[in-house]
Amino acid sequence: MRTWLVLFRKEWLELLRSYRLIWLPISFLVLGVSQPITAYFLPDILASSGGLPEDVVRSIPLPNASEVMAGSLQQFGTIGLLLLALSSMGAVSNERASGTAAMILVKPVSYLSFITAKWASILAISWLSFAAGYVASWYYTVTLFGSVGGPSVIAGLLYFGLWLSFVGTLALLFSSLLSSPAAAAFGSLALAALLQVAASSLPFEQPWNPGRLSQLAAGGLDAALSDGGSAWLTVAVTATAIAAALYLAARSLQGHSRS
Amino acid sequence: MALLTVERLVKTFGDVRAVDGVGFQVDEGRCIALLGPNGAGKTTTIRMLTGLLRPTSGEIRMEGVAPGQDYRGWIGYLPQSPAFYGWMTGREYLIHAGRLCGLSAKEAARRSSELLERVGIGAAGKRRIAGYSGGMKQRLGLAQALIHRPKLLVLDEPVSALDPIGRREVMSLLGELKAETTVLFSTHVLHDAEELCDDVLIMRSGRIAVGGPLERIREQDRKPVLTLETEGDAGSRSWLEGWLRRLPDGIEASSRTASGVRLAARDLDAARSAVLRELAEADVRVAKLEIGQTTLEDLFMKAVGNP
Repeated sequence: MRTWLVLFRKEWLELLRSYRLIWLPISFLVLGVSQPITAYFLPDILASSGGLPEDVVRSIPLPNASEVMAGSLQQFGTIGLLLLALSSMGAVSNERASGTAAMILVKPVSYLSFITAKWASILAISWLSFAAGYVASWYYTVTLFGSVGGPSVIAGLLYFGLWLSFVGTLALLFSSLLSSPAAAAFGSLALAALLQVAASSLPFEQPWNPGRLSQLAAGGLDAALSDGGSAWLTVAVTATAIAAALYLAARSLQGHSRS
Repeated sequence: MALLTVERLVKTFGDVRAVDGVGFQVDEGRCIALLGPNGAGKTTTIRMLTGLLRPTSGEIRMEGVAPGQDYRGWIGYLPQSPAFYGWMTGREYLIHAGRLCGLSAKEAARRSSELLERVGIGAAGKRRIAGYSGGMKQRLGLAQALIHRPKLLVLDEPVSALDPIGRREVMSLLGELKAETTVLFSTHVLHDAEELCDDVLIMRSGRIAVGGPLERIREQDRKPVLTLETEGDAGSRSWLEGWLRRLPDGIEASSRTASGVRLAARDLDAARSAVLRELAEADVRVAKLEIGQTTLEDLFMKAVGNP
């Protein structure tokens, strides 16, 4: 446990010294704020651009608060996810390529600690950034559009946070399986997109699919997006998949250590 | 007392048997050099010893550690080209390494300051490693290998990447260290091995060709050797030409250059007086005359050279 804390401290220091601890939360803040603001000013923007007749512009309905929050989640789910995958794509492969991993792994350190310390730092930065952006988005939505139900906002935070954690874990796994960071980022994003598309477009229910998490988060806020299924199996499967991915990543460290 | 015992160690990569049945013992307090040409399997062997690479088959046992148990805490390892986190300072890295080996924060800090001074980069301890030179990284690598007072220090080509001054300094540091702990290092610079080690293991294509205490190996294959160098002027050359044709009994030329010759002798004393008399009579301009025994290099060439 003590070695784990030492490893985690190092990861945290690296986040700080590489300024990821600053620019990732700021990017999420910008994403979260921009959604309610653009939604609010959309009619004005359209009117001033002058392309549409005035009565058409007036007839565009202002979205309600829940729809705006669900919209922010969509932003986090695309650009936010990309940023997180890019920031963690080299977590293991870079260390292995440069040889720093070998310098650490000859010390009495377990492979699983090495991986889970990295994983914890990815989770910490993901939750921190997402929470910052989400709370900002909530604040602007409430100010500009009216209140949103508290429980559904919190449920949205938890489901979506779990989704980000899942994709971050995938990036870590691919980064330990593949030697190219770009391939790791692509692999994790592609798999995430695949799960998401499967969850939303296949004609049968998939209560086990982690790709449903973002839908669950949005569905709590905006009933129109809900698929009505229960959540507990999704959460359980996601948690198991994360644990399995961590185990696999630690195993692959041992097999790959020829450099 | 054998600190480390290696038996029938094999590592295959696909069809290639990089290490093919290596076995040896490392006795406590000794300094062992692992020699061999490039590609002989030195680094692969070392990576298996440090636990970075899992052997295909064979056994590695550390004294006082049950088989299968983790012995990494007893080993300090310096790879061929040590890599560090460039964003850390040298001191931070040492503390990090020390704490990973189980030292308390206070102890790690104390050891770090001590070792930074010892390896001669005390002033650079507070600077980021990204700005270190190759020699400084090598020293920091040595310091991080020593941080937890390992029983066995394993060094992979510790000086081959250094300039002559850095080499000299690291060698003298290793000379001090071998009094304190057991050292195993690989090198292809024979002179370094001869200077430092008690035992040698010469590897060739994945096997140990020759191994044992340096003294004994030399003894087994000891032959008197005379090396004669002249200044290379016309007179000396023509004398050398003529003399080589009428060499006295018991001396034969083993190799020659334009201005010099290397001779193997049966009886050293007879050969010595014969050569000295000849040189004085012919008034040869001698640049160098060395009379001694076969060196490690001769041995190495013999073990590795002809398949």
